[in-house]
Amino acid sequence: MGILSRIREVVEGMAVHGQATSILRIKAQIDNLFMIITLGDMLGIPLLPPYYSLRLLPYMYPNIQNWKMYMLRERDVTDRIS
Amino acid sequence: MIGLKGLLERRPGLRVLIYAGKGGLGKTTLSAASSLLLSESKRVLVFSTDPQASLSDVFERDVFGKGEVKIAENLYVLEIDADKRINEYVASIKKKIIDMYRLDKLPPDLEEYIDSAAAEPAMYESAVYDAMVDVVAEGKYDYYIFDMPPFGHGIRMVAMADVLSQWVEKITELRKQAYEYGRVAASLKRAKLTYEDEILKELQYIRDRIVAFRNIITNRETSALMVVVTPERMSILDTEKALEMFSSLGLEAAGIVVNQVYPPELAKSPDTPEYIRNRVEEQRKYMAEIKQKFGDMVVSVVPMLNREPKGLEALSLVAKELWSPSKSLDDYI
Repeated sequence: MGILSRIREVVEGMAVHGQATSILRIKAQIDNLFMIITLGDMLGIPLLPPYYSLRLLPYMYPNIQNWKMYMLRERDVTDRIS
Repeated sequence: MIGLKGLLERRPGLRVLIYAGKGGLGKTTLSAASSLLLSESKRVLVFSTDPQASLSDVFERDVFGKGEVKIAENLYVLEIDADKRINEYVASIKKKIIDMYRLDKLPPDLEEYIDSAAAEPAMYESAVYDAMVDVVAEGKYDYYIFDMPPFGHGIRMVAMADVLSQWVEKITELRKQAYEYGRVAASLKRAKLTYEDEILKELQYIRDRIVAFRNIITNRETSALMVVVTPERMSILDTEKALEMFSSLGLEAAGIVVNQVYPPELAKSPDTPEYIRNRVEEQRKYMAEIKQKFGDMVVSVVPMLNREPKGLEALSLVAKELWSPSKSLDDYI
């Protein structure tokens, strides 16, 4: 990696990293909501007719594993702290 | 009784006839007869999905899953193989995922999910309705006659169409929001955004399909829901229930056809065996009930033939009575 891009990453990290993370966090929440609405029947919440929701499946594919783990994970008090 | 002729005169904009109701009453036969009638002057497509009581039998030609088949001048039959359609659709989704992410095969849990979604009964109905939207949207014919499978949950798509369409709007909004955030984050991090446009396009497509289906079913100018009843206790009760369900969904049956009715003369002729006479007497009682309950909604009474109504020739007998009934409803009572 060249010295220039190193410098750029340092500057970027100082300037916008926090902002970018919080934006990404909001996006993740919106994505999560979207997944529930469209592929909710994977978790037993049917909202869209499956005939049509299958059309969206290919685009959601990369997120499905994480999302299911996130949704099906057991919650406990320590969640509240974080 | 005004017959199908009267119904079309009263509603000249009619393009779609939908025969609905439970199985075994002659929906398929009446659909075929209607199509035969209308094809005298216009191009007609008659559409069915049921592999059991099928247009293949009525027309005495194997048309199941063969696409649009020409039966006679201006008369085309389409008998959808819904299971095949679902299998192809599901296979295309699987292939798309495999191609998009260059996988060797799908992860087992996803494969399982897709297969179980495909096995749902709702899937079958959706596939049928989707095929309906396809042919009507194409607009190649003057009349479309639909021989519907007995209604299940799927017809609720009509009631859900508004809700779903609002849903999809909301989801689309949500997606646009996600897109905005994603774009900002991506430009900050100089990462690449994936598939947002495709997702929005798919959502729009889904909404259009659902609304198109609703419009076909509910448009009173262009579509008529026809209910078939036979002069029997169960059938009358079922029809009452069906009419209730329709009105709860905001639909309205355009007409009722009474099918499989013995000619009333049989009761008067001295040569009629006791066995048949009893049957005819019983039917007359139910015909009175049908008149009292459904009255003006009865469009035609189609008599029981002395053989099964199969083939074009026998069908034309059914068609004649369906088009303009030779007797009045009171003659059957």
